[in-house]
Amino acid sequence: MIAVLGLLLGILVGLFLEPSVPEPLQAYLPIAVVAALDAVFGGLRAFLDGIFDDRVFVVSFVSNVLIAGVIVYLGDQLGVGGQLSTGVIVVLGIRIFSNVAAIRRHLFHA
Amino acid sequence: MTQHEHRAVRPETRTTDPAYVGLLKQVMTNTLDEDYRAVAERRGSQNRPGVTTTRVGLMAVLVLFGVMVGVSALQTEQDRPRAMAERAALIEQINQRQARYDDLREVIGDTLRRVTRLQSAVAAEVDGNGALGSRIATLGIEAGTLAATGPGIVITVDDAADGSATLGGTILDTDLRQLVNALWESGAEAIAIDGHRLSTLTSIRYAGQAITVGYRSLTPPYTVSVIGDPDTLPSRLLETAGGRMWQGLEANFGITFDLATAERVTVPAAPRDRLVYARPEKAR
Repeated sequence: MIAVLGLLLGILVGLFLEPSVPEPLQAYLPIAVVAALDAVFGGLRAFLDGIFDDRVFVVSFVSNVLIAGVIVYLGDQLGVGGQLSTGVIVVLGIRIFSNVAAIRRHLFHA
Repeated sequence: MTQHEHRAVRPETRTTDPAYVGLLKQVMTNTLDEDYRAVAERRGSQNRPGVTTTRVGLMAVLVLFGVMVGVSALQTEQDRPRAMAERAALIEQINQRQARYDDLREVIGDTLRRVTRLQSAVAAEVDGNGALGSRIATLGIEAGTLAATGPGIVITVDDAADGSATLGGTILDTDLRQLVNALWESGAEAIAIDGHRLSTLTSIRYAGQAITVGYRSLTPPYTVSVIGDPDTLPSRLLETAGGRMWQGLEANFGITFDLATAERVTVPAAPRDRLVYARPEKAR
């Protein structure tokens, strides 16, 4: 419950305070969001499995966002930023789908 | 034999190749679940220690995630009108350039048509029976800068035989001017006096006991060569004031006036064919 509240609070802060993202980081925000989404769904699945751990979640969240950003940044420097971000999104998307599938099994027992 | 084996084996190796399947399977199965499971196993029977200390971290991360989602959604939303505006501006620019391109193409077409027209005009003047050359020649004859030949009349006038006795028997410069004016009036196209062509710059005046035509002194008799219609020139000359005056001179003062038609009269070019100061005024 506290997690959902935190999430809503964050969204409200982001929407209404409109914190300005530094120009060079703006390009990496969407990919960071996708990476964070992966961590969040992983955490949700772990929670439903009964093995959720705050520390693991925090570490996985931060490392996911950082690694995704770094990979795309590296790709930009090498001139393959578009392809690498596509690859990152594909991998993260697959993980998100499999996590969501597990969550679905938990919630609907199907 | 080996080929048969190969065929039989190949589909299997393709589908079960660990290099392909392993990667996908790894992506599909290697979710964050493993980490949680490992940590949970390591922790074992211990029931969640340090939960309160990390709750703050969890909250912070969740708030951060919310902010990220909110900001990126906002950004996409904000970027949309800007992107639309840029797109519209680009489309407008494309249209403007297109219009300008069309205009310029039209100008090119107009100019090309003009060039063609002028070229054909020039070609007609140059090639079409030498029209340009004949025009220059016509102008040259009219201005007196070109020698000319053609049918006409030759008038020979002289002082009265006893001119020295009677004052009126001498031909004056005004008499010659009257004659020349009468000839122009009668349709003369080129006139020379004693072989001196009359141009627009020629003067006829009396200086130093002699009549000068274009600054050259002449002595009687004076021969006036005229190019024009030999049939009409004499009769029209007599109808002019100058012609009648000369009739009077001939009748009253003994001045001779001989008019003869000629098949071929030749007049030379006026000596001065170059203008030093006068220049054509620029049109417009």
